[in-house]
Amino acid sequence: MIVTGKALSRRTVLKGIGAAISLPFLDAMTPAFARALSAAEKPVRVAWFYVPNGIDMRNWTPGAEGALGELPGILKPFEPVKSDIMVLSNLTTNWGRPLQVGAGDHGRALGSYMTGVEVYRTAGADLKLGISADQIAAKAVGHLTPLPSLEVGLEEARMAGNCDNGYSCAYAYNLAWKTETQPLPPISDPRNLFERLFGSDIIEPPAAHARRVAMRQSILDDVLSSTQKLQASLGNGDRRKLDEYLTSVREIEVKVARAAKEGTIIDPGMEKPFGVPTTFAEYFRLMTDMMIVAFKADMTRIATVMMGREGSVRAYPEIGVADGHHPLTHHQGNMDMLAKVKQINELHAALFAEFLVKMKNTREGDSNLLDQSMIVYGSGLSDGNQHTHDQLPTLLAGRGGGSFTPGRHIIYQRETPVTNLFASMIERMGVRAEHVGDSTGQLAGLSLS
Amino acid sequence: MAAQEVLVSLTGTMLSNIRRGPASSAIRVLVLVVAIVAAAPTGRAQVASSTAPASSGFDRQVQPMMFYVCSNCHKEIAGVSIDAYSKPESIANNPEGWEKIIGKLRSGEMPPPDELMQPSPAEVSSLITFIEGEFDRHDRTTTSDPGRVPTHRLNRIEYQNTVRDLLGVDFRATEEFPPDDSGYGFDNIGDVLTVSPALMEKYLSAGERIAARAIGGDPLPPPGVFTRRDRVRNIGDSTIELAEVVDYDADYVIKINITGHRGAEDLPVTLAISVDGKTVKTSTLPVQISAVNQKGGATQRAVDEARVSLTGGRHVFRAAFVNDETLKKIPLNARTNVNQNIFPEFIELAGPYKSTTPAAARKTVLACNPATGRVCVNRIMTGLTRRAYRRPVTAPEVARLMKVYDRARAAGYTGAQSLQFAVSALLVSPQFLFRIEKDPAPGTTARLSDVELASRLSYFLWSSMPDDELLTLAESNRLHLPQVLDAQLGRMLASPKASALADNFAGQWLETRSLDAVKRDAQKFPGWTPELRDAMRTETRMFFEAVLQENRPLSDFINGNYTFLNERLARHYGIAGVEGPDFRKVALSTDQRSGVFTQGSVLTVSAYPTRTSVVLRGKYLLDNVFNAPPPPPPADVPVLDETKVGVAQSLRLQMESHRTQPLCASCHRRMDPLGFALENYDAIGRWRTEDGKFPIDSSGQFPNGKSFSGPAQLKSILLESMPDFTRGVAERMLTYALGRGVEAYDRPTIRALVQATTDDGYRIQSLIRGIVHSVPFQQRRGETTDVRVAQLQEARVR
Repeated sequence: MIVTGKALSRRTVLKGIGAAISLPFLDAMTPAFARALSAAEKPVRVAWFYVPNGIDMRNWTPGAEGALGELPGILKPFEPVKSDIMVLSNLTTNWGRPLQVGAGDHGRALGSYMTGVEVYRTAGADLKLGISADQIAAKAVGHLTPLPSLEVGLEEARMAGNCDNGYSCAYAYNLAWKTETQPLPPISDPRNLFERLFGSDIIEPPAAHARRVAMRQSILDDVLSSTQKLQASLGNGDRRKLDEYLTSVREIEVKVARAAKEGTIIDPGMEKPFGVPTTFAEYFRLMTDMMIVAFKADMTRIATVMMGREGSVRAYPEIGVADGHHPLTHHQGNMDMLAKVKQINELHAALFAEFLVKMKNTREGDSNLLDQSMIVYGSGLSDGNQHTHDQLPTLLAGRGGGSFTPGRHIIYQRETPVTNLFASMIERMGVRAEHVGDSTGQLAGLSLS
Repeated sequence: MAAQEVLVSLTGTMLSNIRRGPASSAIRVLVLVVAIVAAAPTGRAQVASSTAPASSGFDRQVQPMMFYVCSNCHKEIAGVSIDAYSKPESIANNPEGWEKIIGKLRSGEMPPPDELMQPSPAEVSSLITFIEGEFDRHDRTTTSDPGRVPTHRLNRIEYQNTVRDLLGVDFRATEEFPPDDSGYGFDNIGDVLTVSPALMEKYLSAGERIAARAIGGDPLPPPGVFTRRDRVRNIGDSTIELAEVVDYDADYVIKINITGHRGAEDLPVTLAISVDGKTVKTSTLPVQISAVNQKGGATQRAVDEARVSLTGGRHVFRAAFVNDETLKKIPLNARTNVNQNIFPEFIELAGPYKSTTPAAARKTVLACNPATGRVCVNRIMTGLTRRAYRRPVTAPEVARLMKVYDRARAAGYTGAQSLQFAVSALLVSPQFLFRIEKDPAPGTTARLSDVELASRLSYFLWSSMPDDELLTLAESNRLHLPQVLDAQLGRMLASPKASALADNFAGQWLETRSLDAVKRDAQKFPGWTPELRDAMRTETRMFFEAVLQENRPLSDFINGNYTFLNERLARHYGIAGVEGPDFRKVALSTDQRSGVFTQGSVLTVSAYPTRTSVVLRGKYLLDNVFNAPPPPPPADVPVLDETKVGVAQSLRLQMESHRTQPLCASCHRRMDPLGFALENYDAIGRWRTEDGKFPIDSSGQFPNGKSFSGPAQLKSILLESMPDFTRGVAERMLTYALGRGVEAYDRPTIRALVQATTDDGYRIQSLIRGIVHSVPFQQRRGETTDVRVAQLQEARVR
């Protein structure tokens, strides 16, 4: 990914059949990164990569605590960024466990991972979870960027029918929760992600565009005031639905107003994508390349990425894995199936490592994007076969703007909530949450200084 | 009540004997129990009159079995505590639980065969009859609770259909908007449909684009070329097709890319380009080997094009060689080889160009010319707002949108462009995006208003807004009159828009929507292509539509001996005499196929990428036919060694060893026979008699002793489950119709639906009619106070 600093050319204007689906928003030939960061600004970015169905832990956990030596099988691709990652062992998501409820480990694993709360068991009515760690941060610092947060998914296809034993699909498909009742669905279509970041407007002269944006603002204003009137006549549950709507309208209004004021223009340096690439690797690269642009241009500082929905049945024929991921993880010790699970784990890890390298190669002032970031790679399940929710695979990449000392393997006391890590991360963004779900404090030892 | 005390004390003794004592004491106890049960007057249960206390019947016909049989396991283990069902009041308080118990008894799942104390079939049926009688009595004497349908955001499909019906604009929301989350197996559940900022942003930009297309006030954007190689389908020899949406009412150029060559002696081919089935151009193309190609250079390519005037929306573009005699001489496997054949490879579109013919669709929206000024625009907006809000609108509501028009005018936009802004404001209004119903006073219930009923009806049957006839009837408050409602129901079901039920209800109920996500191992299933997948989806959709339109019985889903095939799918099924890409009704005369459960779509979505799964298919049938979903498996189960299947051990042998484990057996005894009966179909639904080197054995026996051999006999057994099947379909369709889960208080409605459908020979329209006339569909409960909500939620958690 090369993000150019040169003036915008028509190169980014894509082949297409009409403005509505083809032309990027670029409405003026101004330099890329109109809102380039000044040298003094050193924002810290945070991201979570969620891996479904657990990870083959025998090939994940490094042999010893302390400085990272030889990396085990799945972690091998991280060799080039070994000094930028930490492997954190023994963290737990207690609310993923069956406890008094029973089956539904996949729905709970994802639902509880970043919220640290009980996943209320319902197939639909009275959906209830908690605010996820990223959204606690977005609430506090999201207003500093055009997008408070970005939600990305890497599994486009949806399965019909029920999701997981009485747990609504909302729990299995969404990592980020803005409120107890409102999930933020990840964007999994490349073009939709592109348009979320870079807009979907047609090309028109700046004055014409400004006039259009002004109309947009007045429409949103108008919707806000008329909805408030409408709400007054509704019951509590319905009012809540419209509250979600209003919150979203406000957020878009802020974004539109900001665009009008700052004239934020980003040259993504890439063509608007069309369709979902067939192989997972191409798909991953396409989506995360856009994420890097978003981070670099400070469009958002907070992102979540779902490598697949929890319980994903994706097959990876391109690497010789013709069976679905989830059925394979219920291998019951079958060596062939274990080998295929490991192959999938390795593919995911290699792509994530590649992403880290790109982040590291993206300069920012006298530093680089990876140094300025905190990126978790992990799962709410360790052993997918047994559905274990403790001793989770957790990798933390980046230096968090200098507040981490990576290059180490830390073994925590068993049962340490993974939310302690998340609380420690958002704290480094200047977000002081009393707790993140069931977190019991900050995670010690992340920094040696 | 002395007898009851004796029973209770006996139970204690007996249980301890069974747990501690040797086999002989257990047998003694069994004898004793049989004596006690026999002494109690059994036989036909009374349908208790509302004055008689139910408790005496309960003591005689329910309690003994619960104590002596069920509680042996369910006292402390197996998840369900029988204590909760020890009192007659439990029938009224926990009907859901009792329905589960009855279901398990009826299916023979409980008590398990290794249970020492087996009740006689007469005792079981006596208990069932008694409980059902109590249900009826309870339903008659309690006021029904219609429940609450929460404010419901239009899902992607509803949005797209509503935009189509409101403005005549074909907008693909399913590609533009993020996917909707689902609950209870459907994606139209109000509680789960939320509005994220990402979606709101989409609403805003979609609103502008849709308005521009509907009104046509903006100049066309610069044209571009647009390739969709991934979407082009090979639908036959030398025939390719592209289904695509164009955004503008404008001219477009269709470019057909042709590749390959034939022998120097071969005749030219005739290329026909068609749009939506109508030929727009034919031309003759040479097929000779080019000089470059003979020397091993680049593959020969040619492009032919046709300029057509299109309306914005979805179109099907096709390119085919017609009367191609030479093709017959080319071997099948060489027909897409560029060195041996010439063929159309892909289709590109270029545009939009200014059209020479004016757009017709706009006339429906533009009642007058917006350029004439505010009066006209006000008239257009008044009509549109009523239809978009799906109810009468007030003057201030229209005035609010007219302000947007005024502001746009003031900013220098034309009349048509300013109208577009007003329409785009309409399209982001909550009154458009949400279906909002007025709440009755807290704690009370009330009939919906007629306009609210109209929307419930149209979104149920059409996944779209009410049309003018429906809305006008509703505004005159006549829609709720039973005869009027029935007449509208008939009209709406006969409309082509009712195919929404096939796409959205059946597609999710039968899970055929998952076909999009299905991947098949290309090595094992080279025949698995997008064309085949589309054909499978079409078959099931057309089958559902036929059952619906011809008002066939629900049993057709199990064994209807007809289906809808094109050549591709007929070949897949080994059915001769079906030629060409078009689908037609085909009578089925063999034992191999009948009903939806032996259709390729269902057989494929219930299999793994590399192989069939007896368990997945068995579970699919338990869910969808018997309405008795099995509980999830325990964690530590020995797995099927897939690599051995077809090599060292037959699948059956492996599965049977796995069923020797008692923990697994309780469910797999029911699940596996169902799956085995479908083993004659491979993972993409092809008929087979061998798996690897082992012959397929598709015989089996159910826990209740009934045995069968092959799918045909299985179906006759499935037909015996019509009551369960009907209940299952009723529950799912009610869920879909209401956009909320079926709750305990809906049980009377479900029982009534099953009864009415059964009485009418299981005809599908009687079920739909029953839903439309039901209390939860026509009424609404006001909000409960917070305290009660809290109690309800607490109860549910417990």
